[in-house]
Amino acid sequence: MILVVRILAAAGLLVALLVGLVIREDVARAGGREVRLAIGAIDPRSLLSGHYVDLQFVDEVPAGISCRRTIYLDGQEKWVLLQAAGDRHVFAGGVVGDDFQPPPGAVMVRGQANCLGGQEGRVGLDIGIDRFHADQDEAQAIQAALQRREGDPAFAIVSVGRDGRARLKGLQVGGKRTELTWW
Amino acid sequence: MAGYKARLERDLDRWIAKGLTPAESREAILASVTEGPRVDASTALAVVGALLAAVAAVAFVAANWDAIPRLGRFALILSVFLAAAAGAAWAGRLRPILANTLLAVAAIIYASAIGLTGQIFDIAGDPQTALRAGGLAAGLLALGGRSSGAAIVSLALLGFGEFADASFQGVAPQHSFRWLVFAAAAGLALAWLWNSRPLAHAASLALIIGVITFIAVPNRHAVGLIFIGAGFGLATLAAAARWISPQRTASVVMLWSVWGALLLFAVGGFDDLEAGKIVHRAAWVVASGGTIALGMHDRQGMITAAGVVSMIAAVGAVLFDLGLGLMTSAGLLAACAVAALVVGLVVRRRRASA
Repeated sequence: MILVVRILAAAGLLVALLVGLVIREDVARAGGREVRLAIGAIDPRSLLSGHYVDLQFVDEVPAGISCRRTIYLDGQEKWVLLQAAGDRHVFAGGVVGDDFQPPPGAVMVRGQANCLGGQEGRVGLDIGIDRFHADQDEAQAIQAALQRREGDPAFAIVSVGRDGRARLKGLQVGGKRTELTWW
Repeated sequence: MAGYKARLERDLDRWIAKGLTPAESREAILASVTEGPRVDASTALAVVGALLAAVAAVAFVAANWDAIPRLGRFALILSVFLAAAAGAAWAGRLRPILANTLLAVAAIIYASAIGLTGQIFDIAGDPQTALRAGGLAAGLLALGGRSSGAAIVSLALLGFGEFADASFQGVAPQHSFRWLVFAAAAGLALAWLWNSRPLAHAASLALIIGVITFIAVPNRHAVGLIFIGAGFGLATLAAAARWISPQRTASVVMLWSVWGALLLFAVGGFDDLEAGKIVHRAAWVVASGGTIALGMHDRQGMITAAGVVSMIAAVGAVLFDLGLGLMTSAGLLAACAVAALVVGLVVRRRRASA
């Protein structure tokens, strides 16, 4: 009898932890600050194998900052600074440590930035998001929109929580916004 | 291979026929010998089938993107997990192998559920954290249900998690912290407590891999000497296990510790030891010879085999150090291997004829 109780208690605890994780993430995603980041490249091959889109956040290095000489661009930084620019946010720098106060309108996200070899003045952002999972219908619609967009930028809609973590809310491709839902 | 009781039955019949043992003592002697439950082929196949069914269930949930909504997929995978756990609870003590298998299945499903949950709800996370969380969950199920199967799953997941670390590729060595070596120690303790030989095998193997991953951090100084020191550590463990052998799982731990000690000692010698290399090679040959002698003395074939393999490797390393070409070394090693095989066959024939 004790064995039965122990097994069921362990299983119940594990289910509660997983459900709690999903609810906590959903609350944090809903309550976070929304930013739109341009997606530099989308690899549509993954749509056919696992119904997800590989995301790469690539941005310009701000004026006055050299990739070679700047400490925070060597893969050691903890935060990425994003600055509002029109209807989107752009890379504004990196920050080491937790004491930095971002300027008005800026958002700090946990992650790091790395200069892209072979692409002068370009930086890749690693903010913990690298793919967007979608149902097959959604995936095919995104793929079709990507083919039609003709230079129209694609965006990832990201929620930045109080903990500084970036959580994906959806994609905006060709003016069409696809958001994550429970269904 | 016949078990000890079957061999004893044959021996008893022979001794009774020769008048060495009274016939009326036969049943009493056999009754005094207890053997652990033997797993027959059908049970083993059923266990493998259950594990494959778990993987199939996970693949089914992962594949049905269109047919099942997100929340439905999440509920389905949790239901499959709960069904496996409830089945294990129902089997309980009455069907221990079934309960053990179902808990291992539940552990696999839960580990997959972690990955699927991240996928279903687009929750970002690194693979190492997911694998370690799965390993801890399997450990909890193992402790809750006294399941060696779930404990083995836990060790496997933590082991995979060790290699999913970015620091293992030299990216961030300062962030590396290894779990497997500690999990393996806990696994050895549980194997002893539960008298589980399968778990003892898994935990011993995990200990060797855990020690290697613990040491093999990029840019670590004097890594060769640390490997050699760890080899001595495993040799001490082997000696301790031999001292308390054949109690419970000690013989299994001794066997793996001998293999691990020789492996770590050998690997350590390929670092830049300068003049110490000669000492290392001499000690390697002596240790290999000692292991062969130990295996023959204790009649432990796999320990003798460890000594033979180590001796061949040591001789090969010495030949390489002397500057012989790879082809010459390969030829000499092949000759050693043939000689070992011939001696083995001769010994076996003599034993069979005796």
